[in-house]
Amino acid sequence: MIRLVRVGAGVFGAAALLAGCAGITSLPPGPARIGGAEITLGRQWSDVSILMPGRSNKVRLLSIDGPLLNRLYVTDGLAPGDYLVKPAHKEQPTPTIRADMTVSERIEFVTDSIAAMDYLRVEAIRPRPATLEGQPAVRFDISATSRDGLDVKGAALASEVKGKTYVVIYLAPAEHYYEATLTEAEAIMASVKARG
Amino acid sequence: MPVYRSVARALVLSLAANAGYAAPRPPGMIPPPESVEAGYWDLMAKAERQAQQSGELNKDPALNAYVREVTCKVAVEYCDELRLYIMDRPFMNATMAPNGFGEVWSGLLLRVEDEAGLAFVLGHEVSHYAESHSVEAALAHKNRQNIALAVSIGVAAVGVYAAASVGPYGDPGPILDATGNLIDAVYLASVTAFFRFSREHETEADLLGFQRAAAAGYRPQAAAESWRVVMAETSASDFERVRKRDARLGVFDSHPLHRDRVVALEAEAAKLTGEGVRGRERYRAAIRPHLAAWLKDDLRRRDFGQTLHLLGRLETSGEDLGVINFYRGEAYRLRRQLDDLERAEAAYFTASVHSDAPVAVWRELGDLRRRRNAVTEALTAYETYLAQAPTAEDAWIVQDAVASLKKGLS
Repeated sequence: MIRLVRVGAGVFGAAALLAGCAGITSLPPGPARIGGAEITLGRQWSDVSILMPGRSNKVRLLSIDGPLLNRLYVTDGLAPGDYLVKPAHKEQPTPTIRADMTVSERIEFVTDSIAAMDYLRVEAIRPRPATLEGQPAVRFDISATSRDGLDVKGAALASEVKGKTYVVIYLAPAEHYYEATLTEAEAIMASVKARG
Repeated sequence: MPVYRSVARALVLSLAANAGYAAPRPPGMIPPPESVEAGYWDLMAKAERQAQQSGELNKDPALNAYVREVTCKVAVEYCDELRLYIMDRPFMNATMAPNGFGEVWSGLLLRVEDEAGLAFVLGHEVSHYAESHSVEAALAHKNRQNIALAVSIGVAAVGVYAAASVGPYGDPGPILDATGNLIDAVYLASVTAFFRFSREHETEADLLGFQRAAAAGYRPQAAAESWRVVMAETSASDFERVRKRDARLGVFDSHPLHRDRVVALEAEAAKLTGEGVRGRERYRAAIRPHLAAWLKDDLRRRDFGQTLHLLGRLETSGEDLGVINFYRGEAYRLRRQLDDLERAEAAYFTASVHSDAPVAVWRELGDLRRRRNAVTEALTAYETYLAQAPTAEDAWIVQDAVASLKKGLS
């Protein structure tokens, strides 16, 4: 009897865990909330955050054709100490937000975080001024290489609103996929609102 | 009990019998297609194709030619059949596969002191190749696994027989538990033997690599120094677990302790007379074009204690002080503990007087001076940046900072 109760408890626990998993969900065109951030999608995306190793509650990963072909990271407002990439273990720390970051350091936070996602030769290109909810932001392009030698391009937006940093990063292979979704990614960046 | 003892004795004898070394391979040897080694060659050919396509591959012809030249000095007989690829990976490592495909990682090139040190490491890897260590280890492991399986089946049969013989009122549980534990011990023994075998190979490759480098005329002391450098940098890590990594040997360690390797190589060096070639200037000239990029990669590991230790060693030659001090400033700025920002500013300033300093040193100096409200000094740094890099993509960021500071002054 005790054995039966234990087995039953195990099955129930596993079912509860599975029910708690968000899985891959579809995001229809229109507004979407990521914690305190709101973006407007021009088309259907998939929320593939579950595929992120070491998932953070403040970061969502969206994709159209799968994360190897296009990926869009959108963050909730990141507070000092928060990261974009969760460290795999203590001896491999990843970049964290600081309270007094300069514009250059925000760019560095994004590029170093992308490097921590296992991209190589990550560089910021053509940083330019932008705005997010009327606050100064920085918009820049990214060049990188995947470990398999694939050339990757990207676009990013970073800004601080009321002490919290909001980041949007779009990454895709340089060949075809980057250009194919760039307009949509830029429109999403332009749509970011800090509601937190 | 006698059954257990005889099983243990048979296992130990079989493991020992598999620990013999083969003779060095003849140059140009190609394994017969049906051999086990040919299978490994196929696997390694696939790994080599991946390396050729990898985003980490460093294609600089001059650097590749230099590393190849040193390789051929320590591997004259194998020069034509070895294919070394330089990979931009910020860790100290080099590898050599049985088909002649090898990798040298940028983290190693950044840490080796001179050409003599590189010659020892390459000699070590070539010795793995010459002695067919990886094939030998795989074959020995396969034999051990087969023996362990046979022994486990025997132990299980004996255990089941013994358990069935306890009679209707006896408890077979302890016998079955003991049988299970013994099977686990047999498996564990075969796995630990694999790592012990690996450590023996490493020790042998150290000795043979030393001999190859010394025969090529390189300074014998460089071999022990290579491992001493690793020990010192390990001790400088920010992380306790890394610092303790070399404290004691575990049964699952594939390499001997660094301090044991140093002692063994120092003893070998003491047997030789003469200074030998160091090749420090030539070595630094070969890696100089990559120094900044490799240091940036190293910083992204975010073990700032290790990076600062590395920078201290690179600085001792008195060269590349602009680049080295710039990245020292970067390490302190990113670590930002206690008085790190003051140290960062001092390092950037030291860098700024050297012609090889990246122009970004002025932007960083401006940011740090601005942070401590040294407005005039910050303006000087920012304006120097704009004067030296008027078309920089981030000039508008610095111009914004200048405008903001001037507005505060007026």
